[in-house]
Amino acid sequence: MMNFTGGRLSALGEVFAGIFRRPLSFLLSIGALALVFASAIVCAAIARALPIDPPSWMQAQALVLVAGAEGEVDLAAVRSAISQVAPVAASEFVGRDVALARLAQRKGLTSIGLEELKPNPLPDAFAVRFAPGASPDAVEAAIAQLRKLHNVEGVEYPPEPYRKLSTLLQAARLVVVGGAVFLGASLAIAIGLVAAAWPRVDAQEVEVLHLLGADPAVVRRPYVYSGALYFLLGAAGAWGSLAGAAHWLAPALGDLAQKYSLAWSMDPPALGTGLAFCFFAACFGAMIASGAAYLAGRRVLAAQYP
Amino acid sequence: MRGRRCDLDLSWIIAAGTDGVLEAARAAGIGTLPRKQYGTADTFPSVKIEPHLAATDAPASLLTLERVEKRYGAFRPALVDISLSIARGEFLVVRGPGASGKSTLLRLLAGLESPTGGTVRLAGEDVARMRAASRVHLRRSMGILPSGDSLLDRHSVLHNVALAAWIAGTPREESLRRARAALDLVGVDVERYGAAPCTGLAAGVRHRVAIARALVNRPALLLLDDVVASLDQAAAAHVLRVIDQFTESGVTVVATDRIERQPENVEKAQTPTSVSANLEALPPAGAASPWPARARAIHLHDGKIVS
Repeated sequence: MMNFTGGRLSALGEVFAGIFRRPLSFLLSIGALALVFASAIVCAAIARALPIDPPSWMQAQALVLVAGAEGEVDLAAVRSAISQVAPVAASEFVGRDVALARLAQRKGLTSIGLEELKPNPLPDAFAVRFAPGASPDAVEAAIAQLRKLHNVEGVEYPPEPYRKLSTLLQAARLVVVGGAVFLGASLAIAIGLVAAAWPRVDAQEVEVLHLLGADPAVVRRPYVYSGALYFLLGAAGAWGSLAGAAHWLAPALGDLAQKYSLAWSMDPPALGTGLAFCFFAACFGAMIASGAAYLAGRRVLAAQYP
Repeated sequence: MRGRRCDLDLSWIIAAGTDGVLEAARAAGIGTLPRKQYGTADTFPSVKIEPHLAATDAPASLLTLERVEKRYGAFRPALVDISLSIARGEFLVVRGPGASGKSTLLRLLAGLESPTGGTVRLAGEDVARMRAASRVHLRRSMGILPSGDSLLDRHSVLHNVALAAWIAGTPREESLRRARAALDLVGVDVERYGAAPCTGLAAGVRHRVAIARALVNRPALLLLDDVVASLDQAAAAHVLRVIDQFTESGVTVVATDRIERQPENVEKAQTPTSVSANLEALPPAGAASPWPARARAIHLHDGKIVS
């Protein structure tokens, strides 16, 4: 590639000439880049939506009922014994009066006069939370151990919900891993395709232009334009695809949300954000191409003039 | 982005921050001709170029090498203790057998490589201490014929020559016009070869195209490696006559000439000595030698000046 016949416009002309020489390769490269950009956007959106700490509903919980009232039992010893059982992560003491008050405040129970109940029939208890990601078997084994502790009257733990949740989380993890593998593969394919379609740095040209005193920018310019164009089109393709998908899926997702009484709103991607994304992608592509051309040129000259 | 447009191509040095070079260069007469002298009629007016810069107070030497040494890794040094002084407007021929250091010397003078020892000064400025970008720009004011011509094979003869002018800041059409004139000057038929790609050319034609490329900017300094290689006697004589006319107008020429290796010369060789004392006139351009009478020669052998 050489842009002797002019300046920037000529360099751009060289880039387009290269594209028209191998249109299929160019289209495949753009498609692969768009796929990578789209995957990156989706990953970023998911990462932004997901909380950093796992929510409490993702952790197994149990209620350890203490045998005897506060003052009759060494609650500190019970708490200590509970905390030593793996995989217990935390325990919180819930006194019988507090429990009765919370129960009385629940919807539907306010009118039946639970607060007037004398004596309070509820036991003192410890709300126990297990470590995130603990397997259902481990949790159930820990429950069995907790039941055997001294001064523990019983443990309330329905195993089925956590088993279902654990299965769902495993499936979700598989989906995420599969997505990551797919993203990695598409990235590798994209890099391969783009590298194959990318204009080659002509060693002879680099050497001659250096000999004649050309600015390094003149040598790099066509490659920089090429990089900017590829990444610009790839980003535009990704943004367009995602905007189209969002537009297409919005009614279906809205219906689904309504069916399950979920608050759901899906705003269409803003045009300004899309333009900014394409601009920064083009700059990034130009930067990569400039660096690659610089390194290739330096290698050529280092071999020629040690 | 090719280069700053100015009367003297070396004015960029001030912008590049190399203090004092421009003044020294002006005094020494480095730099291409002022642009106003590039009219349509005088691109190469029988190569009778007027001295382009008054050099009444010019320093005696344009190029100075002080105890220069060049080594490539652990191999024996390509150049050893070279001290050399080349005056403005001088035609210097560096003669020697293959691998004697001639091409290395020219690359050092062109700033394409840096010496591993000693100093190469151009108009009093240490070339190795210039910034890399400055050395690249400096070559726009030189005409360089590298060993192995270094033409762009895929491109036409005309474009190969015009490229040098375009890089030096000449507009496209003017570059092409000068390229035609330069090719005509060295005896290449522009009508026949101008549009032809360089890849299929005969060695002699390629060589003359590369010489035309070196001349196209009418540089102040010509560095010509193996300038008569691949040329028959008549073509060599013609090319050397043209180059000699450049010298007459104040252009400094350093050319290399490959000779057969003669071991007895080595035995005669003494310790390297200074150049001015060792410069000797070549035989006049007569029956045996195509070199101009004004040309003076030094002999290199195994990286040392032997005579």
